Amino acid sequence: MTLLTALTIAASASTAYAEAPSMATEQDWQQVLQQAKGETVYFNAWGGSQEINEYLRWASRELQSRYNVTLKQVKVADIAETTQRLLAEKTAGKNNDGSVDLVWINGENFRSMKHSNLLYGPFVSSLPNWALVDKRLPVDVDFTEPTEGLEAPWGVGQLVYIHDTKQLNNPPKNFSELLSLAKAYPGQISYPQPPEFHGSSFLKAALIALTNQPERLATAIDATQQTELFQQITSPLWAYLDQLHPVAWKQGKQFPSGSPQTIQLLDDRQLLMAITFNPNAANAAIENGKLPETAQAYAFDQGALSNIHFLAIPWNATAKAGAKVAINFLLSPEAQMRKADTRIWGDPSVLKEEALPAGERGFALFKPISEPHPSWQIALEQEWQKRYGH
Amino acid sequence: MIHVLFLSAILLCILPLLPGMAGILLPAFSWLPVAGANQFIGLDAVNLSGFHQVLSWPGVSQSIQLSLFTGITSSLIALALTFFILQANWHKQSWQRIERMLSPMLAMPHVAFAIGFAFLFSPTGWIYRVIEGLGFTTHNAPSLTQDPYGIGLTLALAIKETPFLVLMSVSVLKQLNIDRLYASASGLGYNRADIWLKVILPQWLPKMRLPFYAVLAFGLSVVDVALIIGPTRPPTFSVLIWQWFNEPDLSLLPRAAAGALCLLILALITLATARFGEWLVLQYWRRWQISGAKVRQLIGNTGYLPLVIIPLCIIPILIMWSFAQRWRFPDMLPSRLSDRFWLQELPTLWELSFNSLVLAVISTAIALILTIGCLEYRDRHQRSIPFWLIAIPMVIPQLSLLFGLQVTTHFIPGQHYWLWVCWSHILFVFPYLYLALDGPWRSFDVRLYQSARSLGCTHWQAWWKVKRVLLQPSLWIAVAIGLSVSLTQYLPTQMLGAGRVTTITTEAVALASGQDRRVSAIYGILQGLLPFIFFSLALFASNHSGVRPQSNTKRSTSTDEFICGKPNYK
Repeated sequence: MTLLTALTIAASASTAYAEAPSMATEQDWQQVLQQAKGETVYFNAWGGSQEINEYLRWASRELQSRYNVTLKQVKVADIAETTQRLLAEKTAGKNNDGSVDLVWINGENFRSMKHSNLLYGPFVSSLPNWALVDKRLPVDVDFTEPTEGLEAPWGVGQLVYIHDTKQLNNPPKNFSELLSLAKAYPGQISYPQPPEFHGSSFLKAALIALTNQPERLATAIDATQQTELFQQITSPLWAYLDQLHPVAWKQGKQFPSGSPQTIQLLDDRQLLMAITFNPNAANAAIENGKLPETAQAYAFDQGALSNIHFLAIPWNATAKAGAKVAINFLLSPEAQMRKADTRIWGDPSVLKEEALPAGERGFALFKPISEPHPSWQIALEQEWQKRYGH
Repeated sequence: MIHVLFLSAILLCILPLLPGMAGILLPAFSWLPVAGANQFIGLDAVNLSGFHQVLSWPGVSQSIQLSLFTGITSSLIALALTFFILQANWHKQSWQRIERMLSPMLAMPHVAFAIGFAFLFSPTGWIYRVIEGLGFTTHNAPSLTQDPYGIGLTLALAIKETPFLVLMSVSVLKQLNIDRLYASASGLGYNRADIWLKVILPQWLPKMRLPFYAVLAFGLSVVDVALIIGPTRPPTFSVLIWQWFNEPDLSLLPRAAAGALCLLILALITLATARFGEWLVLQYWRRWQISGAKVRQLIGNTGYLPLVIIPLCIIPILIMWSFAQRWRFPDMLPSRLSDRFWLQELPTLWELSFNSLVLAVISTAIALILTIGCLEYRDRHQRSIPFWLIAIPMVIPQLSLLFGLQVTTHFIPGQHYWLWVCWSHILFVFPYLYLALDGPWRSFDVRLYQSARSLGCTHWQAWWKVKRVLLQPSLWIAVAIGLSVSLTQYLPTQMLGAGRVTTITTEAVALASGQDRRVSAIYGILQGLLPFIFFSLALFASNHSGVRPQSNTKRSTSTDEFICGKPNYK
């Protein structure tokens, strides 16, 4: 711990955002540890993956034995449920005794919580392990929304494709090759239906690749006011989808519900490619018996749409100190390394390579493409719904 | 005492609908009051933009049509199937067997049934594996899951709802004195099918009104089943609203609330239409009932087959999936087995089962006492809570009602999660119990009770020794229904319990969101297991309790459900 704290003092001066950084001193952190003793931290997280749940059970045991903090995972089917609950608490003016101490969020949910003042902080720079985080990763923006120290990075997501090398040994490297493949093998290519997260991400990746003004995507768009501009930028995407859907799975009359279903359909030999946000998903799925040994993840030549997923503390959390201790532990090299192990979860680490026990991540991340402004996602989802949703 | 119960029922089960409804009405008109001086995203000017957003949603009209089609068709199929099953098997040797066979179907929660249905009928489901095994290719063949017209959803709902209607009919038929109707109608030359159609149906249908409305409302507002096997482009209206409610962008809340309100109105219009249809067929066009005997045949001996065959296929498939480590399409059987998934879940299973049971027992017990209180109050004072009010929790999407309730509970300081969850279960169990007991209570011959009183029994003695004994079979079945309704509650448990009250169902839904077929199968089995035990016990108890009344006259029931008429002594 002392080594880490020393590192923190050095690093806290170079925090990634313009807030007045609160100097994390050893004394302050000791106080937090003291306060956290005996607290129970209710951690609201998506509970759809047994691997993740198992990993959190391990984290909970460790936290209990090291810091006397009880971490309880509250499994939710969709984190929007938690956003809803916090909103209800805000509406009723319940500013302490909150039911959530820690949430796992990113993107839309973060933006919504931030703008409704549902988050506690900034707190990130007060964590000793913040110093170990790789600042070259976009850890201070969440889908172009500045995090302002209200959430701590936990892991990296990259939009990659999975194929079975036995069935498809030369997978498409870009969108035009993908279309040719779909024409050659009708009914075996698809993507999840937007507004599902992976489906919308597929649209964004396609738009970045196909539009002739990719630089415009970094700034906001108001599709209702700037109709002409929106159509002009996105028309190559719709032209592309118009060609893809007739040769897609079920002639584009149906789409998979999400990433897990594409993996399942890939295994069932209905699709040639699955889509996922976890670059290690293929290995994890093989470990789990969900995919054949010959499955493999890869990214298009353009790179992989990348984002970070985060941990945050609600403004009315009961166990704020306990939540900070939990986050700090989840950012420790040991916990991050274990998280990156494909036999356990396979979620890439957000720490600097030199901070990790092995001195490396264990695998290379794909070339990252940054996310467009969130307004594009909403505009794309609405336009997709208008054109193909019914 | 009765007064106290009646008031408590109003207090616990009806008054909360006010904040609940406020929770949709206010946001529907774009008004979200927020305590404290928080800067909130401009939701304070009352306007109709929410409704405008609903109507301008591309595909909303198709979505509504799909909802109406699947909801109404499935309910009518279920009603017809119920009638055929009853007329073919009631009071025959086969009846016991039918009852026994229906219990697994009844007990199977909707989600578990939908998962199993998908395992069978999805494009990579077991049936397609069989077809592939026979050497046909099924690539891009049509399937019954997520088909654009919702046919699979309609069939699944119809099959799932039929046993419920059959069960509800049992207590109704027990009160109808079928034997005497048979005797007199046969004397007039009617054959069995004729008697059922012209004599029993007109008496059975009005008494089945409420259960049928519940099925109809459920079919229109069902979310979980439609999510698993319903159409997706567009989805049914209720799923669409559910997706809207799950939008993290709060400025879109008015759209979701307005949608929920539209769905409520849609459901009420449908119920009114159903009532009108019943009046047309039974009261207005009565010719067919009195046109005399015609020898006819009704199908029915095989009507129950889909209800038995499908669960019989689903259960083994669920069990196989729960042990499958690798099971690739188009293999008929898993290639590698593993008990890993069971072992991972076992440690938490005891706690989950215990929580589920405690909640179910407490909420059902309280709801049962309240229901009996309300029904007794109606019998004595001819005043009752209008059923449409009671039915609200069954009819509107739970999510919309719960948002308001959730806000209300937050006004009370402290953390009483168990209390809130228990109460919300009572709120949703109560209408089902009321529904299950309304018919039997109406059909009870009040003179039996009066005789008991005239022989010197007190109110309580007469009630306990005569009325309760006669109604015992219905009470057992109502209890089983109450327990299973409580066991399948996901949203109330999750929202009011802040996720801290975990039950088999909350765990099942959370894990099912990862779409791992093995895990879904395990929870499908577990979710069905407890209700199955309850239903088997209840049916057994129901068949071995109660006394068949020897009276040969029947009180006519008024068709007006708001006022229960005085007994007629003709």
